[in-house]
Amino acid sequence: MRWSWFPDHADDLSALALQHLQMTVLAVALGVAVAVPLAVLAHRVAWVRGPVLSLTSVLFTIPSLALFILLLPFTGLTRTTAVIGLTVYTLVVLVRNTVEGLGAVPPHVREAARAMGYGRTRVLLAVELPLALPVVMAGVRIATVMTISLVSVAGFIGQGALGQLFIDGFQRAFPEPIVAGIALTLLLALVADVALVGVQRLLTPWTRR
Amino acid sequence: MRTLSTIAGLAALALTVTACGGGATTLAEPSAGSGAPTAANTIVIGTANFTENVTLGHVYAGLLKSKGYEVTVKPNLGSREVIFPALQSGDIDMLPEYQGSLLLHLDKAGKAADGDAQAAELKAKLPAGLKLLPYAPAQDKTIWMVTRATADKHGLKSLDDLKKVTGQLVYGGPPEDKTRRIGLVGLKEVYGTEFKTFRALDAGGPLTKAALRKGDIDLANIFSSDAEISANDWVGLEDPQRLQPDENVAPLVREQKADAKLTAAMAELNAKLTTEELIKMNHKTDVEKEDPEDVANAWLKAVGLVS
Amino acid sequence: MGLLQQILGWFTQAGHWSGPEGLPVRLLEHLEYSLLSTVAAALIGLPIGLYIGHTGRGAFLAINLSGFGRALPTVGLVTLVFLVSGLSIWPVYVALVVLAVPAIVTNAYAGMAGVEPELRDAARGMGMTGWQRLWQVEVPVALPLILTGVRLAAVQVVATATIAAYVSFGGLGRYLFDGLAQRDLPQVLAGAIAVAVLAVVTDLCLAALQRTLLPRGLRLRRAAAT
Repeated sequence: MRWSWFPDHADDLSALALQHLQMTVLAVALGVAVAVPLAVLAHRVAWVRGPVLSLTSVLFTIPSLALFILLLPFTGLTRTTAVIGLTVYTLVVLVRNTVEGLGAVPPHVREAARAMGYGRTRVLLAVELPLALPVVMAGVRIATVMTISLVSVAGFIGQGALGQLFIDGFQRAFPEPIVAGIALTLLLALVADVALVGVQRLLTPWTRR
Repeated sequence: MRTLSTIAGLAALALTVTACGGGATTLAEPSAGSGAPTAANTIVIGTANFTENVTLGHVYAGLLKSKGYEVTVKPNLGSREVIFPALQSGDIDMLPEYQGSLLLHLDKAGKAADGDAQAAELKAKLPAGLKLLPYAPAQDKTIWMVTRATADKHGLKSLDDLKKVTGQLVYGGPPEDKTRRIGLVGLKEVYGTEFKTFRALDAGGPLTKAALRKGDIDLANIFSSDAEISANDWVGLEDPQRLQPDENVAPLVREQKADAKLTAAMAELNAKLTTEELIKMNHKTDVEKEDPEDVANAWLKAVGLVS
Repeated sequence: MGLLQQILGWFTQAGHWSGPEGLPVRLLEHLEYSLLSTVAAALIGLPIGLYIGHTGRGAFLAINLSGFGRALPTVGLVTLVFLVSGLSIWPVYVALVVLAVPAIVTNAYAGMAGVEPELRDAARGMGMTGWQRLWQVEVPVALPLILTGVRLAAVQVVATATIAAYVSFGGLGRYLFDGLAQRDLPQVLAGAIAVAVLAVVTDLCLAALQRTLLPRGLRLRRAAAT
């Protein structure tokens, strides 16, 4: 191992890590924006639930290479293509956890809110979603860590962020970039997870004892 | 119930696939967005996912920067199948290309073997909006190679000699070699030889080289500018019928960027960019593990293209 | 001709169903990689999950480590192991096993942690040894979650085993990489569909197996609960 390679490339590595983080945040945020309405629908309308849950889990099994190739004619060789693909893979966890969280709200709580004159939307926004938040956030944490590990597959279309290091190392039989890529991916996952635990605490002060 | 909803999910998925797929039947379909006009002095250079191409991208970039262009390099974008459409759609403006492979990409039956003939054919076959600038003397030709041991054992010097061992050797090359002329089809047609099996690897990349070293394959596709050839003492088989085309390096550019200034800069580069120089650069990146960008800039200075 | 017809055409072409590159062989290769990896991951992950669930020791470490394992990029692992091992199937197996272990460990642990303390106490009160309590009480009660972990892992492995083709081996991933190289979009998509179908079928089969393996007592308890 050529240890000097790592400090020599600190700038490149941090730029790639930042890009990695940006793509992850975008993908998970988009995933939440799509998953929560879908999950609310699945929660409210019983017959929608099965198909929505199945569709997202089937989407999860599509090989990423094929998904990217399908998207290329529309969004080109851009970060958008990568982020859309990554978003698709977050849906299965996010939808499942949101549906579960909403389902676990005790009926008497919901009824009490209705009795107090809350409309359906207000019950959803002020009672159900906040109570479901811990489970939803658990989903967000899993989706985030998963996305961080998946970004590198976008290397097939040149958008792999830290994953670009794997291609470089593979082509040149050069382990240093690969080791740096793996280590930084793990570090990023750790930092993101700790940050999300913090966010969750801030958002749900009542769960703290 | 679960099964039913799964089927519903699959059906919905199938619908999405068809809906999105529309008329896209080949991978070469350009993307919908027709490249937005950009400032004339900004250039986005893309490169394929192998190191020599990345280095060449940085050579173009370093030279153009010295001429006042604002250049971005997007290295390791993928294979030609993925990048070519990006050039058409304007995601990138410029790409270091290889004339022989590019011609085959555009015309599977393309047979022009030398640089001038290829350049002429390419002029006619390139899609509108793209322009190939004059080619450099530097070549990165694909050569069919065997190990020294295999060559000695069967007395192999030229592809003609493969007739003697037809059906005995294992061929290792990129997946497309199975179906295209510069591969199994041409070797049978032109040199009358067949192989025991075909092993799908990569285009002269780490898989092919590992397989040849290990003896998993006997005949491999290796790039002539590869720095590992001499280290492993691999033997290139002569190609008297010129089945493998020449592969001169040439810049492929979006027409709106290919003004006189850029063309002149690339002509200056062509005067210096020979196969020997290319091999030197590959040695620096692949064996000494220097960064392609550093190698490119150091080379530009060393040959006096950039002060 | 629409893309869907082309994909259908690919599937209905007789040549794609026979020989060393036909669907049956590719499917078997894919199953071989997936099955061996999942079994190896279960052999590694289950003892760990059961041990920490049974003793309560090292839970924090094991759960966080397997969470960490989830973040390991498969492509990175494959390339790194390739540089060490050269051209062999090892990179594929290492990456797939590492992919599968976390889900198996966390779910086995969660299942064991969910066993009611009363139940453990009762078993202890009946004079059962630690070993007996593990096999006769805790594992049967934790079984649904243990199996869920194996199922999740198996599906993920099946969906990811396409990576074998990245380092020149077989399986359904060959259609993706060969199709891309040969510029044959229907082949790429046919391969993708085959992978998705195999993953879904794997999921359904393991779900059915899970129902069959569920101990009678638990089934009764579930029925009573609903």
